[in-house]
Amino acid sequence: MTGTDSPPCIDLKDIWTTYEGAAYPVIKGVSLRIAAGEFVVVGGPNGAGKTTLLEAICGLLPLVKGSITVCGREIPKEKIGILCDVGYVIQNFDFHPFTPYTVLDVVRMGRYGRIGWFSRESQEDLDAAMEALRLLRIDHLRDELIGTLSGGQQQKALIAHNLAKKPSVLLLDEPFSNLDVMTRDEVSSLLCDICESGVPVVMVSHAFDSLPRRDIRVVVMQKGKLVLNTTSQAGDVADIIRSAPVAG
Amino acid sequence: MLEFIIQNNVMCHAVEAMLFASIGCAILSVLITQMNISSIGFTMSHAAFAGGAAGVFFGFPMLLSAVVTSLATALVMGPLSYRTRMHTDTTLGVLFGTMMALAIFFIALMQSEGRGFDAASLLYGNVISLYREEIYALVVIACSIILLIVIFGKEISAITFHRKMAEISGIRVAPVYYLFLFLIAVNVAFCLPIVGGLLLYVWLVTPAAIVYQFCPTIRQMFLAAPAVAGCISIFGAVAGIVWSLPVGPLTAVLFSLVFVLAVAISPKRKVCRQIY
Repeated sequence: MTGTDSPPCIDLKDIWTTYEGAAYPVIKGVSLRIAAGEFVVVGGPNGAGKTTLLEAICGLLPLVKGSITVCGREIPKEKIGILCDVGYVIQNFDFHPFTPYTVLDVVRMGRYGRIGWFSRESQEDLDAAMEALRLLRIDHLRDELIGTLSGGQQQKALIAHNLAKKPSVLLLDEPFSNLDVMTRDEVSSLLCDICESGVPVVMVSHAFDSLPRRDIRVVVMQKGKLVLNTTSQAGDVADIIRSAPVAG
Repeated sequence: MLEFIIQNNVMCHAVEAMLFASIGCAILSVLITQMNISSIGFTMSHAAFAGGAAGVFFGFPMLLSAVVTSLATALVMGPLSYRTRMHTDTTLGVLFGTMMALAIFFIALMQSEGRGFDAASLLYGNVISLYREEIYALVVIACSIILLIVIFGKEISAITFHRKMAEISGIRVAPVYYLFLFLIAVNVAFCLPIVGGLLLYVWLVTPAAIVYQFCPTIRQMFLAAPAVAGCISIFGAVAGIVWSLPVGPLTAVLFSLVFVLAVAISPKRKVCRQIY
């Protein structure tokens, strides 16, 4: 499946975004359509705007120009609705060893936005959290404090936090950065399954050795601009990113 | 309220004031420490202090001026800490210094005018100075804080865990954050006459710091902090009145002693020395 033969789940039209207080735009005129079930890898040098692109898709950043539609909802009008629907695994986290939350607490939090202000968690919410823990194979760690886990286990807990949401779109920022080779393959296979179920996966990564063996859309960012948008196989991603044209 | 247990009116008044003030402060202390906004806590407590001092100097009701100043500071502080591109600690440091300077300025003026009693009660508090209505107000504030924690428990736990992740989950972080600042402002203003502007901060941080040594989860901290703070405050009030010691400072010292003891025996400090 490609981005052109089905309606887009994510539709970016000439978007310009910036961080609050920044003097210049960080994303400059990016247009991108991502369809259901696509696996997208966003590459490019440090500071190219990859993380900013993911945050813009979530509606976390002010939109200076252009339009963003996610699953038929438009940012910023329906930002909260989009955030409830989008899973976003953040890049930087550093939990203190005595952070007073267990792994299960953290995974359950993924559903809190969906539950709403005055409602309590239902059995369905708890089941979704448990299922996410099982998918990541960390159900045995459910009662451990999040800060006592290794970086890789914390990373898995954060992925589970987002999977518990049952997201319609999954965004991941360097999901392999703390994972060992075996776990990378496990997570990669899980992401592949998620894609097969129709959920588009958009991943910022510099680790290309564990990408799933399937069609991958490669998007390359440079200096806030999209310089390459093509489809490839896992083994070619690194070379494609290296040979991407340089932004003016 | 507690006359059926404590027959002595003065003692009863002091215990009620300390107990209900400590319950609200202790619950807020868990949020303040877990959200890493201790500097916001001390800035707001000193804002109430400055407002109270200005109010007493100009002849306005102290409570009202402390509430207004604390709320105004919360309104300024919210956007500052939430949106500023400058380091939060720096902006709060400036705000804290300004508030402290204002408080000292008005207290010095009062002393130069021979109003030393007003100045001292602002600095160190006076546990038996409260009217009955003010104690009822403390009960209402403590109950409101408990109620809000119960109603918005899941949102608060997500925000205290990780503000950005909470926002990504679809939680409206800003309203909860501002509600929380509002609660601190009101609570701080009402506690100011009891423990004084200089010591109030102890009530807003130390209870959580004590129970943190023993409680692995935030739920346990929410339950243990008011219980521990209530016990220490009651003991401080009783001991202060029986031995004619200043209740506020005595209780503040007790909090610190219990904290030192808690750290000394904390299971979190245990180091595994065994090799299996």
